[in-house]
Order: sequence, then C-alpha cells, then structure tokens
Amino acid sequence: MSGHSNDRPPSHAVTLEWPGDRTRTVAVREDETVLDGAERADIALPFGCRTGACGTCTGRLLAVDGAEPEPDSGDAEGHGIETAIAYPRPPRALKDRHLSDGYVLLCIASPRADCRIAVGSSVHTELVDNPWK
Amino acid sequence: MSDADTESAGDESAHEHQSDTAHDHEHHHEGPGYATPQAAIEEGEREKLAYVMSLYVGTDVDASDFVAVVDLDPNSDTYCEIVDRIEMPERGDELHHFGWNACSSSCHMEGLERRHLIVPGQRSSRIHVIDAKDRRNPELETVIEPEEVFEYDLSAPHTVHCIPDGEILISMLGDADGELPGGFLELNEDFEIEGRWEPPGEIEMNYDYWYQPRQNVMVSTEWAAPKTYYPGFDLDDVEAGNYGRRLHFWDWESGTVEQTIDLGEEGLIPLEVRFLHTPESTHGFVGTALSSNMFHFWYDGGANDGDGAYRAEKVIDFESREHPDWEMPVPGLTTDILISMDDRYLFGSNWLHGEVWMYDISDPSNPRRADSLSVGGTFGDVQEVQGRELNAGPQMIQLSLDGERLYWTTSLFSSWDDQFYPEEGEQGSVMLKADVDPRNGRLELDEDFLVDWGECPDGPARAHEIRWPDGDCTSDVWQ
Repeated sequence: MSGHSNDRPPSHAVTLEWPGDRTRTVAVREDETVLDGAERADIALPFGCRTGACGTCTGRLLAVDGAEPEPDSGDAEGHGIETAIAYPRPPRALKDRHLSDGYVLLCIASPRADCRIAVGSSVHTELVDNPWK
Repeated sequence: MSDADTESAGDESAHEHQSDTAHDHEHHHEGPGYATPQAAIEEGEREKLAYVMSLYVGTDVDASDFVAVVDLDPNSDTYCEIVDRIEMPERGDELHHFGWNACSSSCHMEGLERRHLIVPGQRSSRIHVIDAKDRRNPELETVIEPEEVFEYDLSAPHTVHCIPDGEILISMLGDADGELPGGFLELNEDFEIEGRWEPPGEIEMNYDYWYQPRQNVMVSTEWAAPKTYYPGFDLDDVEAGNYGRRLHFWDWESGTVEQTIDLGEEGLIPLEVRFLHTPESTHGFVGTALSSNMFHFWYDGGANDGDGAYRAEKVIDFESREHPDWEMPVPGLTTDILISMDDRYLFGSNWLHGEVWMYDISDPSNPRRADSLSVGGTFGDVQEVQGRELNAGPQMIQLSLDGERLYWTTSLFSSWDDQFYPEEGEQGSVMLKADVDPRNGRLELDEDFLVDWGECPDGPARAHEIRWPDGDCTSDVWQ
C-alpha cells in the first residue's frame, strides 16, 4: 500500500514475482529504485550497469494498483507504466517495442504506485530472440 | 632484432650465448617479459595455471563474478580444477577481457614487474586491480569505481594493454550513458585514472585494439554502442547501421586516427584484432564476427600515389550453413582469433557452428587451411567430453607460448549466450583443449582435458577470456 510519513518520501508496495510461486512485496520509496529497495530487503535481483543501458535488470510490469493491464492494449499506458514508474534518465536498453510490452529497467525505475513486477533472469532474455532460428 | 640473433637461430647453444650478448649491448632487457617473440617461445615455461574470467551476471545466482585460477599442470593432483577464485566485491560486473600492468613492451623498464591483472567489468564499468605476485593465490588490491570512470564520459571497458612506459590503456565502448562515442581510458602506474588517452571525437564505435610501437601504429575495431549490444543481438540494429564495420589506424604516439577503412558488408562487426608478433611487421588480421570473415591488413607503401596507407582485404570466408531446425542459414560467428607466437598460424573459433581452426599464414595474403576441429555448438561432431554436454561452441581461445596446446572456453557474452545457447546459463561453461602439432599443422582434441564451470560452489558460471601467468599470445607486444 502506498504511504508516506512526514520525514520520508512516499513509498509504494512493489510485489516482485519470480517464475513459479515465489513472490515478495517490498516497500520502495519514490526516491530510490526498485533495485535499491530490493537490495535493502536482501533480495538479489539481476543487474549490470545500474545506468539503464544494459537491460540485465529488466522486469515486466504485470499490474498497477491491483488492476490487470488491458490485453492487447499495444502501448505502455495499457500497462500503467507511466503511472507506476518514474525514470530519472532514459531507459536506453529498452526499445519502443519493449516499453510497449511493459518491460521496466529496475536499476533506474522508481515507483509511483503500488504494482506487481515479474522479475528474475528469465525476463531480460525475453528482450531478444535468436534471429536466425 | 640484430643480425646476429637471426643468424644464430639454428644453433641453440650459440643462440643463447649470442642473444644474451646482444641484449647486454643493444637491447638492455631488464624489465618484464621476453626480448623477442622467439625468446617467449624458448624461455616461457609450459603454462601450469590459467586465469579465466568467470561470471554470474545476468543469472539468478546471488554471487559476484570471479577470476578463476585453473590448474593446468598434468602432474598435479588438482589438474583441470579451479584451485582458487578471486571474487569481485560487487555483483553485476560481467568480467570479460583483462590484461597485465606490464608485458614485453616494457622490457626496458627496470624494476617494472608483470604482477598486476587489470580486470574490468564490462557492464558495471568497475575496474579491478588484482595483485598476482603469488601466482596461485592472487588477491584483489584496488578498485576503480564506475563513478570515477563516468567522470571521463566513458563506460564499458574492454581491451586492456599496457603502454611501454608502465601505464595502462583500456578501450571503452561507450560514453557515460552507454551511448556513442567510446574512447580510451589511461591508468597510471599507481592504477589511478590518468585521463582520456585520445582527444575527444576521434572515433564513434570501439572494441578491441592492438599496437605495434615500432611502426608507430595502433589499430582499433568496432562492436556497437553498449546500449545496442548489452541487451542482446537484434538484427534490426544491423539493418539500422548500429553495428560497426570499420578499422581505425592510429598514430600511436599522438593518439589520433590517421586512417579509417570501411570493411563493407563483408566486414560486419570486426572484433578481435591482432598484429603479427614480430615488431617489424605491419601485417595483421581481424575477424569480422557477423560476416564470419577474416581480413588481412597491412601497410602498403605504394598506396596513395606513394604516400603509403594501410589496406585490408578479405582472405578467409566462412560460409553460413543450413540447419533443419533453423529458418535461416547459420553464420559461423567468428568471435575470437589469435596468432601463434611464431607468427606461423592464425587460430580462431566459429562460435555458432562449433569449430576451432588453424590457418597457415606464412603467406599472410593467402592463408591456407591447416586443420580444424568440429566440437560443440550447432554443428559440432563432438557434443560431449567425458560425458559432459557441451552446450555452446568454442569461443575465447588461448594458445601456449610454444604453440602446442590450444585452450578455449564457451561463453561469448551473458545476454548473447542466453539468446543462442540458453543451456549455458543453466549448466555453466567448459574449458577444453586441443593438442597442436605446429610442424605438421594438425589439431587433436584432448578428451582427457575438461574444466567444468558447472560445478562451481555458488552455482554454474560462465567462462570467458583466458590468460597465462607469464604472458601469452594475446597479451604481449614488442617495441
């Protein structure tokens, strides 16, 4: 649940979902990244550059504030990315098609709403296919 | 090299005596390394240890990347085992290529030792310095944090070579945001950032480089912007011109680009680049990975109406192959090459096909296929060694100084591995070996040799570049 006190920036409940049943919900402040928040809770997520260039930390936004994304919406707004995530710098590792599909760079993404995000190393492997196979 | 050295080469005892005399009077070899490439062959002992870049980045293993120390002594009880691991202080580095603080190019620097390994994180832009005074148990000494690197508007460190005066030069593939241009970062003898080596704006893309100081030349290659290659290989980026295809020839002293050669459609993604070892030579080779060709380059004094220029010509073409499970022909993906210390053979790997090969380059304009091994990868005849499945093709290669043993690992780059060989992340990489008969140009897989990164204590790891403790075919340069 989103909340804030007088001396701290607001935080949001970010639920991390791994393949299988494992989930963890972490309170992530608006002035920190999802990766930072997870690390504070001793949760090891994949990451690399920490500047939004490499995509190793990629997660996929599943839902915002408990609302499921509209199927086949075809744009980022359908996933609520703009309401759920703020970036201090451009997510350079992601192409437009990745943004439309709800992919998020957790090393630079700060939450703006409670949300659920698919995480784990299998997510970044979805960004590219074997082009010849 | 003096004439005396050349003339005495056929007689070993006379050669030792005369070359020592030549050193004392003409070469003053007092620093690290070897006086000549031939001296490296003669004086370098058989490799008993290997340092291998080992990585967990991009997996769910909660551990940092590490430098593996591998026992290569067949008489040791721990032969083919990882006997030490130097763990990096942070996760997420993607250890990739690395190099020494000093090599044979510093052989005039009295007191300078080949002692410190410079180990960059390709993704993190963190640069580690490892003290390898104790060759079997090296220790992390210093770390240059990414923020210090970003201050010079550079990121994504790749190739490490030492400069003859004790400094260190690292090719950097991007700016601080992971965009272009890249450049070169110089470290001083105390492993502090000295600054940017080249004036800004000399190049856009960067990757590997090699220098040939006697010819006052450096050559550099092109991969892509980090933001392009980091997440994986996207064919759209090739069509958009986001991948490189050019060679840059630099004035080594001034650090400026003198000439750029566009290799064209047959030269897409020029990666590893090597000059011949003899310091007299202007000949070299570059593997263009995506086009899967080898280019020979050399200085042509008659070019440009007699002003002279470097020229490059495709000399080996590895054809794509049809595979029933693939929609399109599979390119070889020639991701690594090296030249034997005697400058006689070019070795290389076709990572996607699953092949290592050796070409006779005694006539560098006309390489002649000597032998190859079909092992691992998409088409390899050998798909397991000692019952261990080879989940990928040969990738980074390293050759013994005497040219008689070729070793390789199987990981290219974590995100590209996931794309083409997804099992490698789950099972880890392997290191394999072939025995080489340089006299007869033959390769034979040594099935008694297997190092398995699938058995690392924290979980299966990938393995990338290989170095020997006292110089190797991709580390040393001669003045």
